[in-house]
Amino acid sequence: MSAATQAPWHERRQLLVWLIPPLLWFTVFMVIPYCLLFYYSLGSTEYMTFKPGFSLANLIRVFRTEPYLSVLLKSARIGALTALGATVLGYPVAFCLAFHTRTARAKFLIYLLVIVPWWAAYLVKAYAWKTILGTNGLLNALLLQLHLIHEPLTLFLYNQFSVVLTLIYIFTPFAILSIYAQLERIPTSIVEASSNLGASTFETLTRIIIPLSLPGVIAGAIITFALATGDFIAPALLGGSNAIMISNVVINLLGVAFDWPMAASIGIVVIGVGTALISVAHYLEHRSQARF
Amino acid sequence: MRELGSRRKAWTLGWTVLAFLYAPLIVMAVFSFNDSEFTSLPFRGFTLRWYTMLLDDDRLLQSVWNSVYVALGVVALSTLFGLPAAIALDRYEFPGKAWFARIVLLPIVLPGVITGVALLLFYMALHLKLSLYTIMLGQGTGLMCVTITEVAARLQRMKKSTEEAARTLGATEWEVLIKVTLPGVMPALFGAMLIAFSISFDEIAVTYLLTGRQNTLPMTLWSILRRQATPEVNAVSTLVIVASILLICVGTWLSRRGSGEPVEAPG
Repeated sequence: MSAATQAPWHERRQLLVWLIPPLLWFTVFMVIPYCLLFYYSLGSTEYMTFKPGFSLANLIRVFRTEPYLSVLLKSARIGALTALGATVLGYPVAFCLAFHTRTARAKFLIYLLVIVPWWAAYLVKAYAWKTILGTNGLLNALLLQLHLIHEPLTLFLYNQFSVVLTLIYIFTPFAILSIYAQLERIPTSIVEASSNLGASTFETLTRIIIPLSLPGVIAGAIITFALATGDFIAPALLGGSNAIMISNVVINLLGVAFDWPMAASIGIVVIGVGTALISVAHYLEHRSQARF
Repeated sequence: MRELGSRRKAWTLGWTVLAFLYAPLIVMAVFSFNDSEFTSLPFRGFTLRWYTMLLDDDRLLQSVWNSVYVALGVVALSTLFGLPAAIALDRYEFPGKAWFARIVLLPIVLPGVITGVALLLFYMALHLKLSLYTIMLGQGTGLMCVTITEVAARLQRMKKSTEEAARTLGATEWEVLIKVTLPGVMPALFGAMLIAFSISFDEIAVTYLLTGRQNTLPMTLWSILRRQATPEVNAVSTLVIVASILLICVGTWLSRRGSGEPVEAPG
């Protein structure tokens, strides 16, 4: 602290040493590409080649022309369902890890048990669900064996259900880690005080633990929402024509339709939403964060 | 007492969720040994042929090395640029800091496809040929935020007083960095390297758009999966899972050893 008042010039030179390399990096590999994206979104295509221009027509088309807006909304809905599902499934495990694991060794082992599925290859996890839910899949084989059904059902795969289930599966470990980090910070004394003052387990849970865990829940849910909304593997592998998501649309615009300006316009809209999301997350996390 | 409510009820729920997380992985591993062309019941006997088939698949093996190469490059880039960014963000005040932090964090919430499209336009403008290096630059930009958030969180918990004490006792800025700051952030930096490596090894959205003629492992798996799904994929997947378990164990062991060391130890 004293250095700041005594030698501001010295301090400023050090700051520049640290700041300039990453600043340059992010300018070259993020700011400039995003500006290019914006530039492309203002142009148009003629005979599959890009024509520069200055029109907002493409950006307006994102909101006015089908299927862009509805696919965006559907992706957001799938993302929200995923965030909700992963939080609901993740909370009990995080709770056990924070409140019902006695030794440090046990804690470490359970922690590893959570990390392994999180780190297992993404494609592998999506593909595993395909083999389970498919017409010749394990779920159908099991139901046939139990004589619950007489012919394989097709309703498990290639729809929004299979996409959401797979995404929930993929993001649950992440939700666990995020919620656990917050639960671990709740002091034991607060839990004890609550029960000493006569609160039931349920009351302690709903009025102390859950409110205090909200920052972790929100942080995890927002990142899950963002990643799931932008996913393109699960819909491509497990979703039918009904479960196309926004990233698949962007890829089709590039690879099939060669409509770069339209793809860029969707990108700009998504970047806008993403920036807003970071700000909201920041605000909510700070508002709900209690100081111990 | 920290335990709240019924231990048995809590763990019944907990283990149910963990079973849900492991069931597909176990299914995968079991069917990688099934002597049948299809991943379905009944189980037709034990075989290792899907694993031996892997060893003959040059394209697949080459893509594994490509992935390792890309991931190492990404780790190097995100450390080289992420560490200074974290130090600047935590230890200094400067105008536009909030915006810098926001831009740095943006790739976390942006779909990889959007990052990929933006970079693809950039490469096209520069007439850069797509290769493993273009993938590396793209993933590196996306994953730098991991290093920055991990290291900045660690710096926040580290007291500035140790660094100031070193300065007062006559250490140069360089000595403070090498002997105090770096050893202190080492566990976080190491953890970030592992996370960056594993995400890069698994990354598909950015890679999908920026890949040239050489493919990474997820891209090769993706093309196999889209054509036909042989149990060979189960075998690769099982190996990838086993490899990541080993990596996690080694990583956590190393970082635990690292974090146990007091700050003043090196010298």
